[in-house]
Amino acid sequence: MHEPLEQEIKLLIIEALNLEDVGADDIDPDAPLFVDGLGLDSIDALELGLALQKRYGVTLSAESEETRRHFASVRALSRFVADSRTA
Amino acid sequence: MSPRLQVTHLATWPDDLVRMPAAGGGGEQPLPKLGEMPPMMRRRVEPLGRMALHVAYASQGQDAPLPVIFASRYGDVPRSIALLRQLVDGQTPSPTAFSLSVHNAFGALWSIAGGHTASYTAIAAGDETVEAAFTEAIGLLADGTPAVMVVCYDEPLPAPYDVYAGYPDTAHAWACRLRLGDGAGISLSSVPADANAPAGAAADVAPDRSADRRVLGFLKSDAAALDHRAGARLWQWRRHA
Repeated sequence: MHEPLEQEIKLLIIEALNLEDVGADDIDPDAPLFVDGLGLDSIDALELGLALQKRYGVTLSAESEETRRHFASVRALSRFVADSRTA
Repeated sequence: MSPRLQVTHLATWPDDLVRMPAAGGGGEQPLPKLGEMPPMMRRRVEPLGRMALHVAYASQGQDAPLPVIFASRYGDVPRSIALLRQLVDGQTPSPTAFSLSVHNAFGALWSIAGGHTASYTAIAAGDETVEAAFTEAIGLLADGTPAVMVVCYDEPLPAPYDVYAGYPDTAHAWACRLRLGDGAGISLSSVPADANAPAGAAADVAPDRSADRRVLGFLKSDAAALDHRAGARLWQWRRHA
């Protein structure tokens, strides 16, 4: 559905978080981004939030439950960006 | 009698740091791969951190982790400069860069990556940074710690701070282990500089490189003495047979 955007977000994640040795194809769009799946941590969450804000003009609240849902996977993140992007 | 130190497991980056010219030279060397560190942690380590952690791993080898003292006069300055530039430009600073801009960031990465619970500290003490690190080590040893690791590292000050550099430098790091010896070994003491006539030419030579590199040269040599004048103090490194 949002496949080009999913690809774009994967590349953004790799670049913003300096994921050496990870290619876009290595990231399962449905796998968890944090802890279990890709293994990102809380600093990555902040860095990724900043990168998304710069790239798409979306705003994420650090505390909200919704943010947790948006950050669940690349697919969830793409859906969120598609719905709320301003850039 | 000042404590006598046994200095072992010296590791340097670049490998031939002792023979390298005062400035330049490090840039042509590929950075340490830091294969000992998990990739998810390693990705955040900038060049200076790679050098510092590389020599720490090399000095530690497979042995149980020691209390460690990370000593750097300027630390990871390029990161701080990048953060300041982002602020000046009205951008939000990078959370990753911010979290790693503190002086003890390398020590933190070291302890988290290895699951070490031994103590670590990070020291900056201007021109006397290496002496402050060894003084801290002597304190730990006097307190009963059997052995301590010291890691020294710095790189040339980048613009716009380079105008404050007092000596030529090259990106470098070295580490060693210290334990107390009886009789033989290295001693370190300080005396008021004014009360002492220069102990030969060594005391008054204009610095051609950072104090930690001169101390490394002394440790790797069989010289009897190295004097380092820093303001009102004269640091006396001595070798006892």
